[in-house]
Formats: sequence, structure tokens, C-alpha cells
Amino acid sequence: MKTGVDPITLEVVCEGLIAIVREMRASIIRASYSPAIYELDDFSCALFSTAAEMVAQSEDHPGHVMPMPWSVRCAMADFENDIRPGDIIILNDPYRGGTHLNDVTLLYPIFVGDQLTLLAAVRAHWADVGGMTPGSYSGLSTNIYQEGLRMPPIKLYEGGRPNQAVLKLIESNMRLPADRLGDMKAMIGACRIAEQRVHRLFAKYGLDEVQQCIATNLDRSEARMRERIGTLPNGTYVYEDYLEYYDEGRFDPVLLRLALHVRDDEIVADFAGSNGQVPGVVNSSLAVAGAGVFVALKSTLDPGGAVNHGAFRPITLKAPEASIVDVRADAPAGAHGEVRKRVVSVMLGCLSQIAPGLVSGDLSGSSFPNSIGGMRRGRRRPYVYVEVPAGGNGGFLEADGSSAFVNVDFGNIRSIHTAEFLESEMPFFVERCELRADSGGAGRTRGGLGMRRELRLLGEEATYSVLCDRAVVPPFGVGGGGSAAPFSVTIQDRGAEVAMTTPGKATGMMLRRDAVVVMQSAGGGGYGDPLARDPRLVAGDVDAGYVSAQRARADYGVALDPEGAVDEAGTTDLRRTLAAAMPALAIVADEACPYEGIRGRHRVLRVAPQLAAKLGLRSKQLVEILGRHPAPLRAWVMLDASAPPDAIPVDEFGRRVLGVEPGQRVRLRTLETLIAPGERR
Amino acid sequence: MRMVGVDVGGTFTDAVLYDDQSGELRWAKAPSTPADPARGVLAAVDRNDVDLGATDRFVHGVTIGTNAILERKGAPVWMLTTRGFRDTLEIARTNRTTLYDIKTLKLAPLVPRQRVIEIDERVLADGAVLRPLASAQIRAVAERLADEAPAALAVCFLHSYVNAAHEEAAAGQLREQLPGWFVCHSAEVLPEMREYERFNTAAINAYIGPLTRRYLEALTGLLRGRGYGGAVYLMTSSGGIVTAARAARFPVNTVLSGPAGGVAAAVHLGELLGLRNLITYDMGGTSTDVCLIENLATPVTSEQFIDGLPIRTPQIEINTVGAGGGSIAWIDSGNMLKVGPRSAGAVPGPACYGQGGEEPTVTDANLALRRLSPTLKLGGSVALDANLAERAVSRIARAIAGLDVPGAADGIVRIAVARMVSAIKEISVARGHDPRDFVLAAFGGAGPMHAAFIAEELEMSHVLIPLRPGNFCAFGALISDIRHDHVRTFRLALDAADLSAIEPGFASMEADARSAMMDEGMDPGRITTARAAGMRYLGQSWDLIVRLPDGSDAVAEMEQLFHEAHEQRFGYRAADPVEIVSLRVSAIGQVAKPELGAWAVAGTLASALRETRSAYFSGKELPVPVYLRDRLPCRARLEGPAIIEEMGSVTIVPPGWRAEVGRLGELQLTRREP
Repeated sequence: MKTGVDPITLEVVCEGLIAIVREMRASIIRASYSPAIYELDDFSCALFSTAAEMVAQSEDHPGHVMPMPWSVRCAMADFENDIRPGDIIILNDPYRGGTHLNDVTLLYPIFVGDQLTLLAAVRAHWADVGGMTPGSYSGLSTNIYQEGLRMPPIKLYEGGRPNQAVLKLIESNMRLPADRLGDMKAMIGACRIAEQRVHRLFAKYGLDEVQQCIATNLDRSEARMRERIGTLPNGTYVYEDYLEYYDEGRFDPVLLRLALHVRDDEIVADFAGSNGQVPGVVNSSLAVAGAGVFVALKSTLDPGGAVNHGAFRPITLKAPEASIVDVRADAPAGAHGEVRKRVVSVMLGCLSQIAPGLVSGDLSGSSFPNSIGGMRRGRRRPYVYVEVPAGGNGGFLEADGSSAFVNVDFGNIRSIHTAEFLESEMPFFVERCELRADSGGAGRTRGGLGMRRELRLLGEEATYSVLCDRAVVPPFGVGGGGSAAPFSVTIQDRGAEVAMTTPGKATGMMLRRDAVVVMQSAGGGGYGDPLARDPRLVAGDVDAGYVSAQRARADYGVALDPEGAVDEAGTTDLRRTLAAAMPALAIVADEACPYEGIRGRHRVLRVAPQLAAKLGLRSKQLVEILGRHPAPLRAWVMLDASAPPDAIPVDEFGRRVLGVEPGQRVRLRTLETLIAPGERR
Repeated sequence: MRMVGVDVGGTFTDAVLYDDQSGELRWAKAPSTPADPARGVLAAVDRNDVDLGATDRFVHGVTIGTNAILERKGAPVWMLTTRGFRDTLEIARTNRTTLYDIKTLKLAPLVPRQRVIEIDERVLADGAVLRPLASAQIRAVAERLADEAPAALAVCFLHSYVNAAHEEAAAGQLREQLPGWFVCHSAEVLPEMREYERFNTAAINAYIGPLTRRYLEALTGLLRGRGYGGAVYLMTSSGGIVTAARAARFPVNTVLSGPAGGVAAAVHLGELLGLRNLITYDMGGTSTDVCLIENLATPVTSEQFIDGLPIRTPQIEINTVGAGGGSIAWIDSGNMLKVGPRSAGAVPGPACYGQGGEEPTVTDANLALRRLSPTLKLGGSVALDANLAERAVSRIARAIAGLDVPGAADGIVRIAVARMVSAIKEISVARGHDPRDFVLAAFGGAGPMHAAFIAEELEMSHVLIPLRPGNFCAFGALISDIRHDHVRTFRLALDAADLSAIEPGFASMEADARSAMMDEGMDPGRITTARAAGMRYLGQSWDLIVRLPDGSDAVAEMEQLFHEAHEQRFGYRAADPVEIVSLRVSAIGQVAKPELGAWAVAGTLASALRETRSAYFSGKELPVPVYLRDRLPCRARLEGPAIIEEMGSVTIVPPGWRAEVGRLGELQLTRREP
């Protein structure tokens, strides 16, 4: 400890700051008007130093909180020397401190006399911020103007007086303006509570003492993170994955590439080679992508506990400008959270190579925001519904992944309403809400299951939008574990089942009365070889209905007798057959660029037609290549007569993902997908 | 009027007897008998030499339900639910309470998927029936379950808080067809919206139902056999008391039955002594409960979780740690010394009990440090064997290089203290309170032994130890009133033209509340009622509960009271219309309470000295005076190190601390300035 602060005071002050954030949270939940805030906890609070370092947070949404220092930095830069007592700053601009437009942030400077001491910050998901569709979630936006009202850091209050011009602009550009102003009041109220409590802390311990505690605490967190990073072997580890984009209706996967450099007690996360930004929703700021890096690192290396800015200090981010991880005007950023989630995926891919016991199979990997807007019958009042049904989590060394449980980057938010609340407040009827059998990736430990949620529209017609990823390319397994079932939405209307032309992404689809929206969230990836799973656990899964008897045979090689008990002999045979069935092939070096795409870029695997026929591979089929590293390399098959007849060509980056040298053998596994690159449904 | 209070802990069962004619308070302890807790209850009563035939009130605090939940040893529960919603408990709210940990697991549901049965029926949000109840399916379920050993059933249908007809019909049919089963339905347990929380509360009720019912029936039978003719009352989690019949139907309301008595007693004592800010620290043999009392207000919440499972009925905000005097010390795989959560319990008990326990406990460590005396009978009945304690502690000393027996014993105590400190931080520091502004009220058999050490860690300078700390929870049961809380859904905007329905609404609830209490034998002159309303701004979802004065004038004031409460709680008031969502009436049936008399012991400090013993403090062996608490005169002052022994507990005054005997016989420990 570098200062003279006594340990009890240090503890009391630091915990006291976290308690202030908790109190802000409690106040917002109870006083807000957006169901997303008061029912789902889709908001976050934090306290910041004047150096824009996050000083305290509590059970807050990592995806909100982690990028907040950037918001504070942007606001401080914009208002340099012109932040005064009584000012409140509002912002939601993804290019200037925001995440996506729905996340509206208030910054509330706390002064002692005329000295700025700390800032209270609230970021909350507003149910609507205008734009082309109710809920402002629009899977098919091509520019940011379609996503709603964009606010760079501006003053909502000046010297204690509300800025009427700002209020009027907000009121006239959003649906349900009265609710939005109610949310805003709840946010301001929470900041006022923070101000009172912070003043009380200063009065009791003195400003200097408190600042000293804060500094000591940040240093403490930094040291701890450095110590944990120091346990990893130095080196550079690479992985790649995809976000889902449709270019004028054609599926066009977008590449996310990461090189993770570990140098003693520091980490550089370099996104070089990632896709340029696209005229679609899957773009984010570097602050949001960085949140993914941090969450994955902290959650695997040093699990649990509160976090402050000290823990970010050992991490450096690099990304190409105007790319999907460092978006510039005027590309949309509605699916910023999807980018963060895919960053978690590639982090898991990299970390699995050096700390396989600390990672899990891939997480379900999408926020899955579903929104419906319409008018309440009789009440003539518009409503906006938003839910983000949670999927499964990856299996890991010690246990199966949990089912229908928000992913680690989502914090403590609740992803669905209770059926009773929904049916009381909105014109819906919940037909069912249950776990989705067979959706978890197979593995020695199984991925968790997603859920199936069916919502019938009782009211007049409404519009439906969804903005989801992992609807085509499924969550991956680790260490031989299988992929999970991807996300899915279908609409049942008058007996017919309507699938979406652009899986996972829709904007303003019309729903007629009695239409049923069937939302199915993805499972989590499996961990380890499914053929090594204890057959009794598989039998238990079948008994509970988590896994079907067919999948028990096909994925786990477990045969059950008519009573549902394990057929030992049958299982041994089945497992032997399945183990022999997976083809193994040598790889050859091929340094030609392996990526194709319209605006996106996806890896293609050149396969000679005869080899493809032998292996049963189709053109444009998605395959996983399993090498020595735990996480697979995905690619789409391209039939090419010039490809080697008995081996597959992989470039250097791909070989590093797999951990193999030319001449070494890999195994191939095919995946069925709804749509292939370049295709339209 | 004679009354008996009995509190069953994991290790000891404590009894208090009060006779308001003589003003005499009597106290006794007996070992708990977990296999058949009623035996321990009777043993404790017998030690008090109580004539149950001449007793007017018997009040009981019992935690068998809580323990069953914590150890997941409740009854198998089958749940009947609306078709399409079998996974309500397992899906839960999908949130993750532990952040930044990829390996966090969701809590397993109390009812596994295989035991959830879907039934065709559906009620809508306005109470209308969309699909009638498929009674044939209920019958089929009952026939299927008739082959199973009788267990518990929870009937949990959607929107039953508006219209409980389907739940009631199904539960009625099941009770008829499955005699011996514990059957409850969600709306009778908690008539509130949000199915996950309501179903879970009902599932917990069912989980601990059979156990609680069996126990209360057995106990009532035994008491009747001894001539007791009055009602058997139980402490509830919210700090009131209810009849055993009511408690057996809704055991979920008594999960904090035991510790609630201690909090009630602490508030009572704080009032008498003018100490308004207290942190209670109640350490028994198996577990420890802490609660923060600001300005003598008992903190009550309906947002508690027990071991991660939500219980939405009102409860005192108590934080429980699985460590007590009987907690076992062990060495983990990383060669770190740990204490608890495993406990030696009442059987075999700590090694020093000589009942076959070999593993070292916190009590053994205190004996090895000679802070406990081998010549003292713990709880008045259990003799302690110092050799056995030392032998057990030496197992730890051998495992860690460089540690002797006193060193290992000191380590065990310090780790137990650290766990208590962290539990107190969770309810104080973590919620914006500075523990230094509070007095540590320490009780439970093991509390006074560690209180000063805990206070030292938290820099608290004042510790309060009530008389007979080991029986304080049982005493709390005697000073608590009968309390029934009633809620009625009642939606009305305050800007509506006609507000005349409010007053009759309250009046009819009050009449119902009074008659329910009179049915249980309460004298109408001793019943009082209090009103409150759940209110919110139109458009908000959560309501704020606002206490209201009686009488029709209150309606005029409601809006004003709400604005004020909202501003205080949330930092602003709005111009939006205000809406009532529920009317609430609490009925209190006042009971006669024991009075704590002035401490009349005269004499000198020297006359209270039992011996001078050499004991360990901070690794040093010091000569320490040992006093008998019952002989300490009022206002006596003594300097630490000192040990004060009494029936059921031992108070340690460490070096640097001073103790003074207060006017009600309480000990007030203060820290000398360093």
C-alpha cells in the first residue's frame, strides 16, 4: 500500500463508493418507466474520476460499463473547462462515446465548491429512441439515421436549469415521449442520490483522503490483473470468427480476426485483418470491442468480484480504422453488442490455446433483441416490447454449461419478462416458454440449452424487428465439443410457418392479430469429446428431455434400452463406429488469400471435387477443421479442381488457429446452415 | 400470566420462562435433538421446571425449515403448472448474479424437471378463464402419485393472484385424493404477480411443508400431553408471531423464525437503553446471523433470497453465515486453514464434548486457548474436556509447519472472526453504512466470546452483551406481538372522479383482519391495525409502500404522502398522476410482555472473581481474572484481559477493552483509546 490510508478506511471508502452505485441502481429500477429498465435491469451506473477512470460499479452490465470511460473522455474533451455545477450531459452517439443509440447515457458532474471531484454516470436502454421502427432495433438498417435520434455529448441541464431545446428535440423524435422523459427523471434522480452520498463521504473522510483511497484501490486492481496476466505464456495467439450481415438480402459473413499478444504482464489485443465497416448493423466502436476483450480476460483468468479501471490498464487495443470494431460515421451500430459478443468468442478461441482449463465452449453469443411495437387496444396508447431471451452457455472442464442463462458479458440483466407481467401490460399471450431440447452443443461436458418462447399477438397489427447474430453460423465447441443449435425466429400465421428471408435480422415485419412469434435462443458450445461423456449423464439428459434419444446415439454414441437405462454393449459399439467415421486429412500450406465475400469476408476451403465426393461435402457447405488447438477453424467449401486430391490447403493464419504444421493431419466435421454465403432466401 | 419462549438452534435449544406476578425470568438450555427436535424443546422446558398446565402462552422459534433448505434436505416436491410453463423454475429470470466469471452456474431448481407436471388450464391477466381446468388430468396425477411415498405438491398456475379458482380446485382435489400429502397453491402463499417469484415461494413452502407440519403436530401433541391448553405460537420471519396452525400451512413465512426473535429482542433492549443504531451478531453452534438496525427500525424486505432462491414474503433483512462455535476447522488443498461450513452440530458436537467428535471446532480452539474453562459446563449441561480439544487442534498444528497448538487455535478463531467481519461488512459497509456508527449487539452462545475481536476488526468501539445472551432469541419470542399482514389488489388513479371506494376498502380489510385475529382467541381490545398503500406514478411498474394514518382524511393526504416518500427514496417528485395498486392492512394483537428488572446484585468485583487462569491472547500466555457474571455488581467496571462466565455463554474482554455492568444487567464493552 503506497499511502498512509489505513486499511479499514480504505475498505470503507471503496466499498462505500460501490454502495453508492448500488443505491443508484435500486433507485432507477423502482422509478423508471421503460420495462427494459425496471423489469430487465438493462441499465448501468458507475462513478468516474476526473481522469475518466471508472472508480466504482456494482452488478452492472459489463457491456454498458466497460465502454463508459470512453464516453466520459469524449464528454470531457468536448466541454473542456466548461463543465459547471448544475450541468448534466446526455449522449448516445456511437461515434462519440456511445454504444448504440438505444443506450442513453447521463453524466452528472459532482462538485465540491467549484472543484470537479467525481462524475456519476447512468447508461440505460431506452425502449425507443426514434428511427425507422418501434423499439429502434432494426436488423436491416444501412445507416445510422435509420436507427434513431443521435446525440453527441450535449448539455441536458446547464447550471441547474433544464435545456428546453434538448428536451423538445427528444420529445418530438421518439415514440412514447412521456415515458422517455420519465426514464430521464429516474436517471437524474439516481445521480442526485449519488451526489448526496458522495458529499457525505467527503464530509466524513475529507476529499483528499477519499481521492487517495480511490487511487490506492485502482492501483490494487491493476496489480492483481498484471499478476494474473503474468501467469500466461508469452506469445501471440490468433483466432477468427464471423458476424452475420446481409448485403441487399444476400448472406455475406463478416470477418472478425484477433491476434492476442501476451508480453509478461501486459496484453495487446490487435484486430488487424478484421472486416471494414459494413452498411449493416454489425459495427461497433473500439470501446465496445474492448469491453469484449476485458470481460473475456477477467472472467477466465480472475473470475468474480467487482471491477474498476485499474484492471483495464494492462490492456492495449489496436484496430483498423473504419472497421467493424472501430466504426466511423455514418455506418449503423445497432448490433454493437453482437460485435462485443463475437470478440468474447475470439478471445475464448485464443485463450483456449494457452489456458484450456479456464475457458468454456463458445457462449450462445447473441443479445437476441426482439422488439414489437403497436397500439394497445382500447387504451390508444402505443407500446414497445423488447425481450432478449437468453441462450445457453458453453460447457467447461468441471460442469455442463447453464441453460437459458445470460452470457457473461451481459452481467446481471434479466432477459425475459414474466408471462404475467407481459400479459398484464401488453396485448400478448405467452403460449409457452420452455427449454429447447437438443440445442446444447455435445461434449464431455454439454453446452447449456437455449429456450423456446412463443408469443401470440392479441392486439391490432404490430411490427416486429429482430437484430440477432449466430442465426446462421452456430456457437462452436472446444476440445472436440460440438456446435450448439443457432438462434432462430419464425412467425406462425394462420397455420403457416413463415421463416425470415434474412435469418436473424428483420426490420418492421408486419404481424397480424393472432400471429405467433416463435423465438428460439441458441445453446452453448460443448467442451471435450462427446464420446467421452459419462453415458449415465447422457441417459439422465434423455430422461429429463434435455437431449433426445436420437441425438444421444448420433452425438454421444450412447444406446439406451427401452427403460431408458444405458445399454453398455451397444454404447461401446456405437462409440467405436462414430470415432472411426470422422475423416482425417493432411493439410498443405497455401498462402493465397483464403477469404471471399461481397462486402464481408469469409474463409473458403478449396476442396478437389473427387475428395469432396468421397467426404460427402457440398459446395458452400460450412465445415469445421479440428486441429491440435481446442477451438475449430470454420470455412465454407469451395469445389476447386486445382486443389490437392488428398489434402486440404490452409494459410499460415489458419494453421496458427489450428496449431498444426503442413503435413500434419486434421479432422473435418460438417455443419448444416440455413443459408450459404452469397445466397438469398 | 406465565409464558414460555423456546428457540431451537442447531446445537442448543434455549428456553425462557416469565411470570408477570413475580416478575421472575428463568432461563435454561438443553442440547438440541435434530432427529426429533421436540424432545430438546421439552428438555429445555423441563430444566426450567415449568408447569405447562399453568402456562398461558408458548412461543417458539424454530429453524428446521431453514436448515432443510440450506442442506437441500426438504421433501420431494411435485409441481403442477400451466401447460407450456414446465420450465418456469429452471429458466428462472436468466440473470447471472456473479459477474465476470465464465464458470458461474445457474442454481438448480428446487423442483427438478422430471417432477413438473403440465396441466391444461389457462386464466388470463384479467382473471377471465380461457381454458377450463382439466380435472381429469388432476385425477390422473393423483392416481399416479398415490403409489409414491407421501411428499409435497405445489399447484402453480398463471395469473392465480387475480383468479385462484383453478389453483383452489386442483389443490382441493389433490388434498382429497392424496391424504397425507402436503398440498399448497401459489396464490395462497403469495398473491402477487410475477410467476417465477410466486411459484418459487410456493415451491419452498411445499419443500419444507411436510417437515414443519410433522414437527408442529408432534410438538403440540407433546405439550397437550403435559397439560398445556393454550395456542402454540411461532415467530415469523417478519418479527411477529402466528399460531402453529397458520405456520404449518405457510412454513415459508417462518424460515427466519429463530433469528427474528434475536432481532426483536435487540430492538427492545436498544429502546430501553437508548442505543438506537445496532448491528446484531447472533452466533450459535452451527450458524451466525447478523442484522443492521438503524434508528431502532427493524429492516423488513420482501426481496430476500434464501441460498439464491427468491422468497417474496416479508422478512427481516438478516444475513446468515454457515459458521458457529461448532464449525469444523480443516486444511484445504492449497494448505490453507478454513473454518466451516461443515459443523459438528449437536451430535457428535465439538471434540471437547467427548461424544466421539475428533475434528477441531471453534469451541475446541477457544478451550485450547483456555478462554473457555474445562470446569465450566457449556449450556449448563455439557462438560468440556481440554485434552480432547487440544488433541483435535493438534491435527491442524501438525499439518501446518511452524504452528504449535495455541498458534493453530488462535488461527482457527481468527478465521472464524474474519468470516463474521465479512458478513457484517455485507450489511453495513456494502450498503453505505459505517459500522463505526453502530453498537455491536452480541448474543447467541458463542457471540460474546468473539464480539470484541470482531469489533476490533471493524473499528467499532462499543459492544453490548445482553443478560443470558444464549437465550436472547427465546426472550425475543416473548416480547413479539401477534401480527398478520393483509394485501388486496386495488387499482385506482388518484385523479379519478370517485375516490369513495378507498375508505370502505380499508374498513372491510380491517374488519376481516380483526375477526381473523379474534378467531384465534385475541381479545378485541388488544388488536390494533395499521394502514398502508402500494402507490406509484402512472406508467411506473414498481410501487412504493406508503404508510397512511387511519380515517377518511387519509385519502386526501395520500397523494402528498406519496410525493414525499417518492422524493425521499428516488430523489425527485413528478407531476404525473398517482395511482394506487394495493391496499395493505397489518393487524397487531398485543400480548403481555416480560419486563427486564433492574440489576440488583450488590457486592464487589472481588466477590465475583472465580479464579485467575492463564489464557492465550495474541500468542502470549497471560494471567486472566475469571468472573461469574451473576455475581458482578451493577456498575462494576473491569479491564481486559478478563473472562466473564455465565450459564450458556462466556464473554471475553480482550486486552485493551473495558467492560461495565449496566443497569439492566447488560455488559457494555468499550475499547480504550489505543
